[in-house]
Amino acid sequence: MKFDHPIFQRLRAGCLTVVVLLMLGCLLRPLEAPTWQQVQSGQPEFNLAGLEGALGQGILVSTLGGFRAIMADFLWIQANTVWEKRERAKFDSMLRLVTTIDPRPLFFWIHSARMIAYDVPHWRIREEGGYRAVPDSRQAEIDREQAEQAFALIRRALEFHPDHPHLYLEIGQIYLNRLDDPEQAAPWFLRASEQANAPYYAARIYAELLRRQGKNPQALEYLQGLYHRLPDHDPRAQKMIILERIRELEELLGVKGESQFKPQLMPDTKFIH
Amino acid sequence: MSFQSPRRIRLIAGNTFLEAVRQRFFNSVLLIALALIASSTFFQQFDFGSSELKFIADFGFGALFFFGSILAITVTTQLFFNEMENRTALTMLAKPVHKFDFLAGKLLGVQLLMLAFTSLLSLVLLGILFWRETGLMGQMGPDAFSEGRMVRYMDILTFGFLQWLKFGLLSAVTLFVASFSNTNIYTIIVSFCILVVCQLQYIAREAYADMAPGPARLLVQGLGLIFPNFQLFNVGDQLLLTSQEGLPAVTVLQISLYACVYIVAFLLLAHLSFRRREI
Repeated sequence: MKFDHPIFQRLRAGCLTVVVLLMLGCLLRPLEAPTWQQVQSGQPEFNLAGLEGALGQGILVSTLGGFRAIMADFLWIQANTVWEKRERAKFDSMLRLVTTIDPRPLFFWIHSARMIAYDVPHWRIREEGGYRAVPDSRQAEIDREQAEQAFALIRRALEFHPDHPHLYLEIGQIYLNRLDDPEQAAPWFLRASEQANAPYYAARIYAELLRRQGKNPQALEYLQGLYHRLPDHDPRAQKMIILERIRELEELLGVKGESQFKPQLMPDTKFIH
Repeated sequence: MSFQSPRRIRLIAGNTFLEAVRQRFFNSVLLIALALIASSTFFQQFDFGSSELKFIADFGFGALFFFGSILAITVTTQLFFNEMENRTALTMLAKPVHKFDFLAGKLLGVQLLMLAFTSLLSLVLLGILFWRETGLMGQMGPDAFSEGRMVRYMDILTFGFLQWLKFGLLSAVTLFVASFSNTNIYTIIVSFCILVVCQLQYIAREAYADMAPGPARLLVQGLGLIFPNFQLFNVGDQLLLTSQEGLPAVTVLQISLYACVYIVAFLLLAHLSFRRREI
């Protein structure tokens, strides 16, 4: 067989193309690497740790591009229709699909987590015969299972929005309101309060949870520190309420006289005894 | 016969552009894309997560990417194979026109077409965003816009420019596929597959970073090097709003250089493949 046969010619051309493109890729790497780093840093969906998630996300980014926002919106409406019909399996996959298509809006993550943690347990208990028929232990087990699913979803959300206080708050709220577990809830409110742009109430709830657990000295110490950290002129900071709680705790703990907390008073601030 | 005549390339490009503009396909895609961008304010009522301006911008960027990619691949293929099927390529290449001039002219013509498409869509998007932002300024009062306008309008043009370069690269890849392919349907399918691979190759690269050394790792690493990284052009999320840190000018320049080098490389590869081809 001669080596100038069309098959060999094609093979040679193919190999040459691959070699040229490989060399070009290597040559352009020093140009591409810093650029890619810059582009990647601005887009959380390019920074997924898990390959599985990255694959799904990558395919959707490549195929839908900017249309993923509207696609996710329409699927969210459809998910709500499924929610009304209480089709649990379909509902779960719809929520996963919406958050995969567009992980940017916090709305999808938070509302999905709430539906999973607060609504689905009711459906499951009703499916098993209703609140009177299902024993408390089983109800608690269902609550726990659903809460775990919601936590998994929020953990995925945190991959995209690692600094967002509302995601930490949501985990805390589920522990507190659904599982009635202030001990597990407290650290999440603390983490929420430590994030940039955290709402002031996150820290107040953390202190309140310490108090509920009977950790009054820790609650007092935390509130005293918090009082100094909060701004004086922002009414949302509710410094007067913090001071009220400090006084209540001091009374409970028997802190009197010189040991009492002395706030740096602003001229228009009343001192509460 | 002189090689690479700018005049001949310009003439072929001009004719290619005129031929492409007259195509029904181009006009239909352009109209659909424009209508979609214009209707983004209607679709905004279904939005749950993003701000209105961000949604409109995303929608516009999406239309630009989606329809632009379809157009770049399909028009390049159609224009190339029209010349083959109508035997006009034969007439043209019988004259003192080098095959490289023919390919470069075709690519330049398509690029002119894509420039018209990208500019038009970017300007319509810019107009809609300006109109909606002005409306929001009226509704929300001056306090909400105390630091001036929220949208960086130049960024829309920057995004349009980068997309145009990406379409150029996509057209060059399509031209390269067309140079050895016998049918236009094969060229279109293969080019779309390459587009998807180029969009996803960053995942392969990140995967090989965690793989154990061996043939599989080498293969994935090689694939990451062979295909250009199209996600470099996906900068829409970083642009536009003043609340976000914009894309540095150096990065825009680097992306442009990256695209230009690949466009030239694929054009030369297309020439290498096309010069032996019997027409």
